[in-house]
Amino acid sequence: MTVTQVTRPTGQPPSSSLAVSTDGLTKRFGDRTVVDGVGLAIPRGSVCGFVGPNGAGKTTTIRMLLGLIRPTSGGGSILGGSLTDPASYLHKVGALIEAPAFYPQLSGRDNLKALARLGRIPAAAAGPALERTGMTARAGDKYRSYSLGMKQRLGIAAALLPSPELLILDEPANGLDPAGIVEMRGLIRSFADDGITVLVSSHLISEIEQVCDHVVMIRGGRLVHQGPVADLAARQRPDIVVAPEHAADLAQLTKVLQFSGLPTVAGPADGTVVVAAAGVGAADLNRLATRHGITLRQISERTHSLEDLFFQLTGTESALTPGQEMGAIK
Amino acid sequence: MIGASYLSEWVKLKRRTLLLSTFLGLAAAAALFVVLIFSNAPAHGSGGGLPSLQQLARPNGLVFGLTRATFLLGVVAFGTAAAQTASEYSLGTLRQLLVRQPRRVTLLTGKMLAVVTFMVLATAFAAIVAFLIANVMAQSRGVSTRAWFTGAGFGDLLGALGNIELAVIGYSILGLVVGQFLRSAVAAVIVGFAWLLVIEQFILTRIVPSAAPWLPGISLSTIAGGGNPDFGISYSHGLIVAVIYIAAAIAAASLTFARRDVTA
Repeated sequence: MTVTQVTRPTGQPPSSSLAVSTDGLTKRFGDRTVVDGVGLAIPRGSVCGFVGPNGAGKTTTIRMLLGLIRPTSGGGSILGGSLTDPASYLHKVGALIEAPAFYPQLSGRDNLKALARLGRIPAAAAGPALERTGMTARAGDKYRSYSLGMKQRLGIAAALLPSPELLILDEPANGLDPAGIVEMRGLIRSFADDGITVLVSSHLISEIEQVCDHVVMIRGGRLVHQGPVADLAARQRPDIVVAPEHAADLAQLTKVLQFSGLPTVAGPADGTVVVAAAGVGAADLNRLATRHGITLRQISERTHSLEDLFFQLTGTESALTPGQEMGAIK
Repeated sequence: MIGASYLSEWVKLKRRTLLLSTFLGLAAAAALFVVLIFSNAPAHGSGGGLPSLQQLARPNGLVFGLTRATFLLGVVAFGTAAAQTASEYSLGTLRQLLVRQPRRVTLLTGKMLAVVTFMVLATAFAAIVAFLIANVMAQSRGVSTRAWFTGAGFGDLLGALGNIELAVIGYSILGLVVGQFLRSAVAAVIVGFAWLLVIEQFILTRIVPSAAPWLPGISLSTIAGGGNPDFGISYSHGLIVAVIYIAAAIAAASLTFARRDVTA
């Protein structure tokens, strides 16, 4: 894989306004480098999507942030505390790491009670956390009787126990049905409304796109891009899809566009030609086609999804339709 | 900090199924030994290593059954304790715990103290049940219990109970450590039982009898019995060897737990 660019947010905020800041964070397991020199800069109060294919190093990075895995090299700070001293910041952090893990024989409420006691959090904190995740009615039932969606929600409730300033959610939508995913998205938005910084990882870019205002892209353990989602989208010009009125004109239209020096012209597929050229407007294309006696029946813009941008940035080709897993790419 | 970890562990330990199975299981095992000893005790002398009815009527007669049951109590304590640490890895709950308590040695210490307290209480409960059964069995076999309730009798009783509890604490700590190293409850129980029941009892002590005084399981049995006449091991020797093993185990467990990456 070729990493096409590594960008830092322009006008990067000072470290005090960053919830998470790392420098050269690296983890090697034997000869295998799983995370390679990652420098994160996640602003306070943002909802930051942490995206990359399965095996990109997201979970290992998150575990290093949570003090579960010791970095091979590099360092950083979280909420002002040093990464080398997780106790200095973890009392302000809530986390759901991979699949939720609780004691199956205990009720949801007792599971939270055990965690609250351990973190010296008042037991009363469990009530609002359960309420917020819609788990109050089932809190007295044994964890093993919960559906996957309920387990995820209990995981979020556990993360909310310390009234966190930073919430780290690793693949929170895993295994959820579409309704559950929508619900999870709503929850994440509500955390942001409360001023909580949220770092949410996913291999489903389309999910991240809908809820995040900041994005960190990682592939093969390396940082590919990070910055506000709006900046990323603004840098990308939409493609223009044109279609001739008569299918017989398709080849001619393609040839005209190519002769006009447009940098990228996708081949005809479904009777359309996709022009991926910056600085060319719909009116220009219409004039060009008319001048060559071709009437267009369609001129439309096609905006790039975050997923498309990811593949552009990593120099790989997307063979996926929206919603498919990036992990499917080998 | 350790107190928070201790109290947190108790939320898990006091669940009804674990509480009933451990307390009743240990009590049943101890009661069984008492019943067997009283039922099969010869009137005089000793038969098959069992105390006679005459010996049972002495001040220390009350503790015979429980002392004999210690090995079984120890094995149960080992397995229960091993499951408590290993299951944190297999369930993946360890990562949750470490986010709430990142000071790992603090977490481990609180957990160990809680599990050890749990096993000490379970053993005390088993002892009470065993003593009640012993009184009933003594009536049925015509054994006088007058000497049991004298100052010497109570002294023997408390001394024996203290030794048994010490041994159970040792088995529990070894169980916690093995569970933490192997990270699998099943593997920890198999390895622990194989070592204590097969390797020590039937292989090492028979092939290399001179090694017996230096084995952890035998040392804990020696503490429980107040000495080990079978292998000629004194109580103090057993105590010192066991303490060394347990201290080394705790040190190794703390060191590896503090440094090991948590990927489960």
